[in-house]
Amino acid sequence: MTNRTNYTINESPHFEILSEDQKEKIFNGMMRTLQYTGANVHHEKARELFKKHGCKVDGVRVYFPPELILKALSTVPPVTEIFPWDGDESKKIVVEKNRSYFGPGPTPPNFIDTDTLERRPYLRKDASLVARVCDALPNMGYVQSLGSINDVTNGLADVYEFADMVRNTTTPIMSWSFTKDGCRDIHRMGIAMAGGEEEFRQRPNYIFYGEPISPLVSDYHAIDKCMYCAEHRIPQVYSPCAIGGGTVPATHAGQLVVALSESMVGVIATQLINPGTCVIIGGVQSILDMRFSIYSYGAPELSLLSAAHTEVVHYCGLPMYSTSGCTDTKKMDAQSAMEASLSINAAMMSGANFVHDNGYTESGITGDIFQTVMDDELISMARVIEKGIKIDPETLAVDVIDNVGSGGHYLYEDHTMNWFMEHWRPTLMDRNSYENWVEQGSKTMKDRIIEKTRDLIQNYEGPQNKVPAKASEEIEKILQEAEERIKKEGVAHE
Amino acid sequence: MSFDLGKISETLVTGKVDDLKTLTGQALETDIKPGDILNQGLLPGMDTVSQRWKAGDMFMPEVLRCAKAMGGAMEVLRPHLSESELGNAGTIVIGTVAGDLHDIGKDLAAMMFEGAGYNVINIGIDQPNEAFVKAVKEHKPNVLGMSALLTTTMPRMGEVINSLKEAGIRDQVAVILGGAPVTEEFAKEIGADLYAPNAGSAVEITKEYLESKV
Ligand code: B12
Repeated sequence: MTNRTNYTINESPHFEILSEDQKEKIFNGMMRTLQYTGANVHHEKARELFKKHGCKVDGVRVYFPPELILKALSTVPPVTEIFPWDGDESKKIVVEKNRSYFGPGPTPPNFIDTDTLERRPYLRKDASLVARVCDALPNMGYVQSLGSINDVTNGLADVYEFADMVRNTTTPIMSWSFTKDGCRDIHRMGIAMAGGEEEFRQRPNYIFYGEPISPLVSDYHAIDKCMYCAEHRIPQVYSPCAIGGGTVPATHAGQLVVALSESMVGVIATQLINPGTCVIIGGVQSILDMRFSIYSYGAPELSLLSAAHTEVVHYCGLPMYSTSGCTDTKKMDAQSAMEASLSINAAMMSGANFVHDNGYTESGITGDIFQTVMDDELISMARVIEKGIKIDPETLAVDVIDNVGSGGHYLYEDHTMNWFMEHWRPTLMDRNSYENWVEQGSKTMKDRIIEKTRDLIQNYEGPQNKVPAKASEEIEKILQEAEERIKKEGVAHE
Repeated sequence: MSFDLGKISETLVTGKVDDLKTLTGQALETDIKPGDILNQGLLPGMDTVSQRWKAGDMFMPEVLRCAKAMGGAMEVLRPHLSESELGNAGTIVIGTVAGDLHDIGKDLAAMMFEGAGYNVINIGIDQPNEAFVKAVKEHKPNVLGMSALLTTTMPRMGEVINSLKEAGIRDQVAVILGGAPVTEEFAKEIGADLYAPNAGSAVEITKEYLESKV
């Protein structure tokens, strides 16, 4: 057998928006912005840290020298692993370039009630439900809550959410919190589930999510939480919701420069505090609709910007937190499916690491688990394209082609028997004949989504019974202490 | 000297900030009454803008540019206007409540009020309850606008209203609320006067309300 020189294999499709030179331009735009425009950091300790490492500080404004940025980027880890708390290797997350995990999004105020299908405030019971349904969905690689709980003590929605979710899914959770206090409570729960502090360090079981503010601001709590996570080596996201034409330039290139710059402040902080700790950037990148004044979650620009941002973030050697599967519609309909299809496919092709907001409707105001279930199917379709086409003697099948010749069919061939199972099979898409479709109740896509979702809600138990009793007790204790904390200190302000 | 107030309306609609300021200054040098400059020049221009905006013929940056031009013209004109000539286009204090850092929606609303001729005091984001009360005492606005984008910070709005009551100044201002999670029912519940689902409708809702009160 002879090998062939200069023979290239595409393991997967190649999708690219920006060239190396263009990425470099955006990167340099970020370096220039942080050096000359600087960024506001509303946290004295953080400013002191930056100053100590060569930043110019003027009031709350911090100017970052290029060499500090490069140094920070040199210590970010190339690979980080995040583990399901029950040790199930199939649900392990490997944070490395071009490996994509999809999930829901955090914190909308409302939820689509799974019984009435009406929009109402998000409740505590919804967090468990979302966790359990996502635990069952094969294409949800990590989990967020799709809401912020309205029926617990004000200021504890974050802590209750994690406490309930972690006991209803083994899929790693991406948590959030109001302040460092919530962050600490959640971390204690993560440790309880891991079985100890050292165990958590070896096998982190959740990711934390925080946000800087466009343009170019790190508020006290955002950077405070960021530093806490860095100290404790909690893998974290530090990414803005940049509003094109509103909080960042209307030009996509300008948007990427600003979004990258404000996120880089978090990257630098984490690497100064604890070199090698995992930090992921990206965020929601979309436009302000200048006709309806909403931040659009269904705009094609969201897909374009997110994919381009993924390329720039990977150029920096960082993992990307991207966006897909979301919509501006109010009720599940053709628009929600159209918008979700486009963004899911673009996110998949771009190779973003974590892709959130699968299940966001009404531009992020309402979480909808039905949308997540639909998105799950769309993600599995996009994975077919992601896989590309394998070319080798077996798949080329020249012998089989010769055998069948012209005319005839392939249905009797062993080759077909060996390979047809590779074809993608739908769980929701209708491919019935008209007659069968009528016979089975003339169900629309919406009917089928509702049916599948409710079936999971009723019949899928999730890992509730596998939670170690000790961990569960510890979680209850942490919740109680959190209640006492809020009673004593109130909802924290800076 | 004859002066074409229509030109003021036209210039406003094109959103030329400096030109409109100059024109307003020129009009003031004639014997046209300042009230007429407002009512026959600037406001008809803003009416055209708001009609075009509603019809989808104009987009937000264009509308805001016009609003800015209106604000500039009002700076020149306001000192010459009597209280009655100012009418409802008085002063609005607007801000985002404590613990809430969402900025842009509140700013949009502020700019829209500016466009309607209001003197806008934008006190910024993350404003403690006392800051709202203090600003109302200090600026004596006829409208107080509060923004909250978080369900956790929405209660601050009710607290501010209570503080205004305690300070005995609740009746002096019309309180209008906004922000994505805020609803009409919530506004009623906590005793606000008005709620606007978006910045575009806020001015109109306020105008109708103030007119219904006189
Ligand atoms: C951009 C954004 C941010 C940015 C804000 C940047 C900035 N410079 O403002 C950043 C990243 C900082 C941010 C932070 C957070 N956010 Co935020 N954010 C958003 C987002 C995506 C868009 C808001 C926006 O600007 N929309 C565009 C503007 C034009 O619309 P608007 O603000 O609604 O304003 C319009 C009307 O409401 C009205 N209006 C607004 N104010 C007023 C005032 C008056 C007087 C009037 C008359 C009218 C009016 O007019 C405007 C124009 O029509 C929303 C989702 C959403 N769709 O609303 C989430 C959202 C509001 N955020 C949310 C959350 C949870 C947070 C964080 C807690 C996240 C975290 N884990 O840290 C933090 C909180 C920080 C803080 N303490 O405030 C949740 C709120 C959930 C809840 N239960 O309340 C939302 C709904 C997103 C979500 N689904 O999770 N956020």
